[in-house]
Amino acid sequence: MPYYRVITPKNALSYEQRQKIALGVTDVHCGISAAPRNFVHTEFLELDETGSFPDDRGRGVKSFNTKYYIAGRNRGGRTDDTIAQILNGMLEMFCDITGVDSNEVSGDIIEGKASWTMEGGHILPEPGEEPPSWYEADKVLAN
Amino acid sequence: MINFICNVQEGCIPTSIREDLEKGIMTACNDVLGQEQGPIEFLWTEIPKGFGFRGGYPSTTSQVAGSIPDGCTQEKRELLLRKICDSWSSISGTTEDEAIISIRDASWSDKTGYK
Repeated sequence: MPYYRVITPKNALSYEQRQKIALGVTDVHCGISAAPRNFVHTEFLELDETGSFPDDRGRGVKSFNTKYYIAGRNRGGRTDDTIAQILNGMLEMFCDITGVDSNEVSGDIIEGKASWTMEGGHILPEPGEEPPSWYEADKVLAN
Repeated sequence: MINFICNVQEGCIPTSIREDLEKGIMTACNDVLGQEQGPIEFLWTEIPKGFGFRGGYPSTTSQVAGSIPDGCTQEKRELLLRKICDSWSSISGTTEDEAIISIRDASWSDKTGYK
C-alpha cells in the first residue's frame, strides 16, 4: 500500500499516458502523505463495458457511473480532509494528463489497517510512524 | 471460509508454480489458524505488461490478499503473514520486496466489496 487502480475503457490510454499517470499518482500521494515513492502501486484495468468491475480491495463488485474511475486503498489513520485532498489531486492529475473532462472521472479511497499487511518482509507502520529505513529504497530510485 | 486473491505481474510468476504457491499458503493457514477454518479458495489475476507500476515505473511486485474469519489476534496474523511471505519468496524465487501480503478480516472484505 498505497494501491491505486485506474479503471478505463478498452484501449483508452497509451503506454506513455499510463506511465505518466503512474508517476502522477506517486507524486500526488507522496506529496500529501510523505510515503516513500517505492511503496506506491498503480494498476490499470481496462473494461470492455464501463459501469462496474471486480473490486479486489474486498469481495464483490464496485459500480460507478463515469467513464473512468480511480479506486484507491491506503493505510488507515488519515483524516477525511487528507483523504479528500489525495483523491482530488488524483482526479485533477488524471484530467491534466489525459485531457478527459472532470465529469468523466470519479473515484474513491478506502482504508485498511496497516498492521494487516506485510510489505518487503515487514509489517507496515501506521501513517506518520515510518522508520528511516523505509526510505532507503527511495534513495536507490533517486540515484 | 478463507479466500486469497493473488494479483501478479505478467511474466513474473509462471502458471506452473501457482499450485505450489497455493499449497504453501494452505500449509501456512492450517499451521496458524487450524484446519477447522474450512476450505481455502484462490483467485489468480494477472496484470498485463505495461499496466502495473510501482513508484511510477514498471512493477514486478505480486499482491497476495487473504480474507480470514474475524477474531484472529495480531500475533497470529503476523505469524501467518511471515509464513506466507517466506513460502512465496522461497517457491517463486522472488525477493521479499516483490511481495505484498495482506490478511484481512472477512467482515472488512465483505464491507469493502461493494456487494
